Amino acid sequence: MIKNYFKIAFRNLQKNRKHSLLNILGLSVALAACIIVFLVIRYETSYDKHLKGCKNIYQVVTRDQDEAGEHFTVGVPFPAIKFLRQDFPQYKFAQLMSSNNIQVTTEAAGKESGKKFYEETGMFYAEPELLKMFEISFLSGDEKVLNDVNAVALSRSMAIKYFGDWKQAVGKRITIDNAGHDLQVSAVFEDIPENSDFPFKILASYKGFESYNSAGWPLDDWGGNTSNHQVYVTMPAGANRAAMEQQLGLFEKKYNTSNKQTTRSHFLQPLSNVHFDERFSNNGDHITTPRSLYTLAFVALLVILMACINFVNLSTALAVTRSKEIGIRKVMGSSRTQLRVQVLFETGLLVLAATGIAIGLAYIVLPYVKNVFDAQGTLSLFTPATALFILLIALATTLLSGMYPAFIMGKFRPVEAIKNKISTTRVGSISLRRGLVVLQFAFSQIFIIAAIVAVSQMNFVKNADLGFTKERLLMVQLNTDSVTRSRLNTFRDALKQRSDVKLVSFSFDAPSSQSTWDANFAFDNMKDREFNVQLKQGDENYLAAYGLELVAGRFYSASDTCREYVVNETLVKKCGVNNPQDAVGKLFRIGGRRPMQIVGVVKDFKQQSLKEAVTPIAMFPSKRWYQTAGIKLASGNLQRSNAEIQQIWDKVFPEYVYNATFLDDTINEYYQQENRLSLMYKIYAALAIFISCLGLYGLVSFMVVQKTKEVGIRKVLGASVQSILYLFSKEFTILVIIAFVLAAPAAWYLMHTWLSDFAYRIHIGVSVFLVGIGASLLVAWLTVGYKSLKAATANPVKSLRTE
Amino acid sequence: MLELKKIFKWVNNGNNRVFLLKDINLSVKEGEFISIMGPSGSGKSTLLNVIGMLDEFDEGEYEFFYEPVHKLKEKQRTALYKQYIGFVFQAYHLIDELTVYENIETPLIYQDIKASERKAMVADMLDRFNIVGKKDLFPQQLSGGQQQLVGIARALIAKPKLLLADEPTGNLNSKQGEEIMNLFSELNKEGVTIIQVTHSEKNAAYGSRIINLLDGRIEQ
Repeated sequence: MIKNYFKIAFRNLQKNRKHSLLNILGLSVALAACIIVFLVIRYETSYDKHLKGCKNIYQVVTRDQDEAGEHFTVGVPFPAIKFLRQDFPQYKFAQLMSSNNIQVTTEAAGKESGKKFYEETGMFYAEPELLKMFEISFLSGDEKVLNDVNAVALSRSMAIKYFGDWKQAVGKRITIDNAGHDLQVSAVFEDIPENSDFPFKILASYKGFESYNSAGWPLDDWGGNTSNHQVYVTMPAGANRAAMEQQLGLFEKKYNTSNKQTTRSHFLQPLSNVHFDERFSNNGDHITTPRSLYTLAFVALLVILMACINFVNLSTALAVTRSKEIGIRKVMGSSRTQLRVQVLFETGLLVLAATGIAIGLAYIVLPYVKNVFDAQGTLSLFTPATALFILLIALATTLLSGMYPAFIMGKFRPVEAIKNKISTTRVGSISLRRGLVVLQFAFSQIFIIAAIVAVSQMNFVKNADLGFTKERLLMVQLNTDSVTRSRLNTFRDALKQRSDVKLVSFSFDAPSSQSTWDANFAFDNMKDREFNVQLKQGDENYLAAYGLELVAGRFYSASDTCREYVVNETLVKKCGVNNPQDAVGKLFRIGGRRPMQIVGVVKDFKQQSLKEAVTPIAMFPSKRWYQTAGIKLASGNLQRSNAEIQQIWDKVFPEYVYNATFLDDTINEYYQQENRLSLMYKIYAALAIFISCLGLYGLVSFMVVQKTKEVGIRKVLGASVQSILYLFSKEFTILVIIAFVLAAPAAWYLMHTWLSDFAYRIHIGVSVFLVGIGASLLVAWLTVGYKSLKAATANPVKSLRTE
Repeated sequence: MLELKKIFKWVNNGNNRVFLLKDINLSVKEGEFISIMGPSGSGKSTLLNVIGMLDEFDEGEYEFFYEPVHKLKEKQRTALYKQYIGFVFQAYHLIDELTVYENIETPLIYQDIKASERKAMVADMLDRFNIVGKKDLFPQQLSGGQQQLVGIARALIAKPKLLLADEPTGNLNSKQGEEIMNLFSELNKEGVTIIQVTHSEKNAAYGSRIINLLDGRIEQ
């Protein structure tokens, strides 16, 4: 029986080659999209799951409440851990301090001087307990080495990078940021998997951080809080988490000595949430919201659904031409079930072919996906789970596509079927097929509209007025040690010699930055405000170099330390001053520092991504914190300027690595997730249009065959080519319009939600919807037009003779 | 073998009821060779389809081997005619996608007969009709007479007790037609009951009894 099914299925597919091809094409593209989405979702949800103790690890996180609402951070004040250990002796705590943008210098080997490396991420000061918690597996040494303040542990690839061979690395010495304090490589550990939010590369002793590197960090101060300092705790299953959460809520009230009225509280974040909770930052390179994963899955589902709709439409249309065979089989004694199984079998065969092609497509596309997601090793097509998924999705697709045609064909009455009396109108309800086409159009319109909105929002973001200029600004990383500070002027003078350098400004960071530095403050001799101020340290050229605008007063004058403040409009407004001019001359105090005068108010600029609203900002000079040189370049070849500035750097700071980026590139990276999403929408819109085109083409070509006689008669009666084109396109035009009525609100809702992530966003105008419907009308007309033009220009004598 | 009692079949056309079959009473004994005759539209094919259980009727009783067909569910009816009835059509109705061999084999597949047994049965049938050499050809590659031979072979493969033939020679030339009719007589002598619909007096004469239909009624 099976053999017979197989044979007849194969011959039927061959006979209706064009339809089979359309179906296979649509299904394979959709299946490939599904497979890719599956891999991506699996990858994203696999984060940190490789840790056996994942379920028992929690991060102690912080919630701050002020007038503007709640603020969340992974940072925990430095003094807290002592009291955490005291209050919860039954649990194991571990702290880490991440250290970004560091320079590693290896020890000189013989005549060769040490090599210099720049490490953007991956350096952490950690307690031994943390290494145990995160199941670091050591190739040499163990976590206990970090009890030694001079010890450092390297990952295998770091050890290879620095010393050529990890075995040789053990015992060698490295220096961090030329601090003059050597660390000895005492342990080497296995590389951390890509799907980890804890990309440990260089692990140094936390005690070492406290003893040697903590200058400027508020180790004993409850007021300051940085996201670099994090605390983790292991709680065995069955521990009373609720009780601990409750105590953590009141923890700051109990111990915070710098602010008794603190609104800060702590709670526990399960490790399994760290990759998905966008209220917080993590140590990895990105956070994935569950919503974006759902969107991805949903969109893949829509695409596969569209391909299935194609299939149902084409096969029910085709059922008519097969009615004779079905009839004969019934007369020969086939039961309905046997016929249905046969039809399903054919569907299965087709899906099988499509699956094969889909796997090939996915294989071709995968390298690009890996690039987009920065996952070279972990995304693999050939795993048992993927195989199982492909099997399941193929099975589901078969049932979804085959059930209805099978049901319809099983129901054929043999006498009518044999006599070819089954007409298209009898095959399933015509309204069902129309409904499916409408659904398909609706899906593709949603995708088109979503793609347009996403692309225009990203364009808006790219071209938005940030309140400062981001173009032609070369950001050179500086070190914060005294050696660097002493040579800053030399560096500036050397830069100023160059004709392509317009201005140089030293600062903590650029006006817009992902890292923030908050502090409590008081305005005009009043008590501390409920909300925090963001600090921006920069020299006197900051205003001009970044093109900021003043709305009142003047910018502060040259100084190495803070003597005057400049604040932004938002701060003035939030302090209840309507006219910025009135704020000038008022006293301003940050934390426990000495109050200074406000000398100017700067026009608001976007200090973070456009997803965040502008917050209060205070600007002042503080040479101690300058770690960025913003170099405003005149027109000319930016890359050449960059290369030549590096030569200056190497002369002034021979012991430091040169690390420079262009500000506009950095700002673009804020929107990595959004860019991915908008790329995805674009791809899916293209897929959706492609698949619905295939379906439409198949359906119309079938309609043309059905209407051959009608067209012939009409032509004999004097119908023009246009009127025949109209005959065919009229129905589809109406269907597109009905689809639009469904798609427009759905698309609006979808994109409205997406846009609400942005504090600054575009308005979804009518034009977006017009383009959406216009595109799908155009596509429908082109597809229908091509096929029906053939019918319309055919010789009527021929078509009538065949009847 | 089978008995039709007061069979009526109609379609409603607007307010009018058009009778396709009207008060048909017919009893057929095993071994008979019956020819149904009548002008176009008199209901010959409809009657044959009703007898073959391909078509339903609106009123009356139909007993087939003592089974009340009018009371059976579709599944049971299929089981019944699968076992006892073979069909031959004017337009042969072979499945275009299947070879001669596979066409003949198809009814056996639906009767769940084992592959080895099927092979032997089909081989016998091919042998009997002298079409062994054509077994791998597709229907379009055969002449009309040959196609009808395949059609008859297919109808007989499951060893039916009753052979229903709807104008089996209608699409054939007279020589081919004669051969088919001779074949029918032979089959009848072997014990197969045959009911055929035909226009031709000459073909009808092969049968043992003629039933004349006019406007859905049996003419006495």
